[in-house]
Amino acid sequence: MAVSLVEKYELLGCIQCGRCTAGCPVGLRTYLNVRKVVYEGLTGTGPKDAKGRPEAWNCTTCSNCTERCPKGVKPMELLIGLRSAAIEKGKALPTVRDALESTFKHGNPWGRGRDKRMEWASEISVPVAGEGEAVPTLFFYGCTPAYETRAQDIARSLVSVFEKAGVVYSTLGTAESCCGNEIWRLGEQGLFELLVEGNSELFSAHGVERIVTSSPHCMNTFKNEYEGLELEVLHYSQFLKVLLDEGKLKLSKDVPKTVTYHDPCFLGKHNDIYDEPRDVLSAVPGVTFVEFDRSRERALCCEGGGGRMWVEAVEERGERVAEIRVNDAVALGADYLVTACPFCLLTLEDAVKTSGNEGKIEIIDLAELVAMAL
Amino acid sequence: MRGALRGSGVGRERCRGAWPDNRNRRNGEQMNIVVCVKQVPETAEADVKLASDKKGIVMEGLPLQINEADNYALEQALLLTEEHDGDVTVVTLGPDSSDDVLRMSMAKGAAEAVRLNDPAFDRGDAVATARALAAAIKDLEYDIVLTGCISSDDGNTAVGVALAECLELPHATYVTQMEMGDGEVTVGRELEGGLIEKLKVKTPCVIGIQTGINEPRYASIMGIAKASKREIAMKSAGDLGLESGDVGAEGSRTRIEELSYPPVGEGAEILEGTPAEASSKLADVLREKGFVS
Repeated sequence: MAVSLVEKYELLGCIQCGRCTAGCPVGLRTYLNVRKVVYEGLTGTGPKDAKGRPEAWNCTTCSNCTERCPKGVKPMELLIGLRSAAIEKGKALPTVRDALESTFKHGNPWGRGRDKRMEWASEISVPVAGEGEAVPTLFFYGCTPAYETRAQDIARSLVSVFEKAGVVYSTLGTAESCCGNEIWRLGEQGLFELLVEGNSELFSAHGVERIVTSSPHCMNTFKNEYEGLELEVLHYSQFLKVLLDEGKLKLSKDVPKTVTYHDPCFLGKHNDIYDEPRDVLSAVPGVTFVEFDRSRERALCCEGGGGRMWVEAVEERGERVAEIRVNDAVALGADYLVTACPFCLLTLEDAVKTSGNEGKIEIIDLAELVAMAL
Repeated sequence: MRGALRGSGVGRERCRGAWPDNRNRRNGEQMNIVVCVKQVPETAEADVKLASDKKGIVMEGLPLQINEADNYALEQALLLTEEHDGDVTVVTLGPDSSDDVLRMSMAKGAAEAVRLNDPAFDRGDAVATARALAAAIKDLEYDIVLTGCISSDDGNTAVGVALAECLELPHATYVTQMEMGDGEVTVGRELEGGLIEKLKVKTPCVIGIQTGINEPRYASIMGIAKASKREIAMKSAGDLGLESGDVGAEGSRTRIEELSYPPVGEGAEILEGTPAEASSKLADVLREKGFVS
């Protein structure tokens, strides 16, 4: 007997208070009304999959709704479930279909060949583990910093920081495959499980004890969703904090800029990592730090997560949330809007252009800021 | 010409049997479709290397997938049989790895899968392949046979047409529009310059599908895993009454002599300047060469 949506997602707790919808970043600009989705799930009146409810593809899985719910209901999970139901029937948006097929074929959602995965490192020296070689500290650079030209700067900056700090680490080279965080959120459970299996085996074969990721998305899934994975998982901001505290990383060059910091959802809201990135940022000499009004738990999602890098919002209206964020940063008088996630970096940078703020502000990753101060 | 397509007299005999009364007619609304699919390497991003004998490429490290045009043909078959209540049978001629394409097709909704599995089929050209496929298809129940119009590896665009000849069926190629009628299908064939040729083709027939006719669905990993438990019918040359002279290298009319890389040429002009300047120059070039008036 098929488990009903009500049972599967424990919807009976919902009191229709609306805190979820009020906090939904895409609710600002699309017809996604997460309270209504829960209501229709409860009454059995709604569509059973995302094909029938296309706005389910708009969700960025920022988890605001889930964090805010006073009754422990998880509307975000319900939306992922609707996506999953559509996926199993073959009804994915074409861009989502392409990203999923690419991940299966090439180990990354960007449609790029696996043998090109280390091209970001072609002009620098990056350690790559040989077969069976022990890798106590693994730098998991991730699909987006591997292939996306702007995001490659994140990976390269981290390499120079690790080098300066004398970190002993290695990468998996072209054997590295997608972590699956976005795959899970797009609803492709089978593919996610395949990735978990493959990656877990690989980590085991190399005796990995600690993974340092460039993306909060990879960190999130390795830490919270890879069953049986017993090793330390750190986002690089946490790792750099440790290096700073241990005196291994010294930042001596002045960066005389006014900077603000955008909390990535998967670092902040999902994993409560708010302080470490700020500590690292403050360790950069010369920086004047200004805080967003909507910061930490109240940070505004950039709309890059939850598979949204492969989904153009359905039935959208109004300003992109990332544009609001950029305008806020400009209003703060910031030279740099610093973030710590490749998706945030890309969506915010695009938003600078589309909001007409080119030349007024620069989006940079925390890793790049630290590398500037080496 | 017709004799040449069918090879030996024995082959001609084997291609027969494709007479109207041997095939399934629509039971009222029902409509069954056979789709020919092929597994090909994905080379879009790869540095393709020639094999040492220069008659093929190095396949190692290349991901394998369904031929793109065949994927559209499969989707078209699924859409039509969903609308007209029927079954899709996928047929392939290929190595063991091509079972993956069949399983993916079944995950998407194909009811049956057939693989022509015999070393005798190896290194067949388009016509030899078509002859083998025809032998497998002629005894199936179908209203239409769909194929992709072109394969991304060999690029002959010949199998669909040769298959139609072997089955003695009418055919249309590069189809981007299809509308079922009574005992016929109206198709739109994609010609150059955006022109569409409309044809009415009597069913049963062979239709070569062009990419872009639809939006192929997704086959989930769990769906494919479920399909891996289903049976694929394996057919040898003997099962199909084919002799070695009909198929494979022996049954081929063409033979690959050598593959080579295209020579690096000259004549690429880089337009310098700001975007505004460069696009102005580009507009001049386009006008000059007659691409725009």
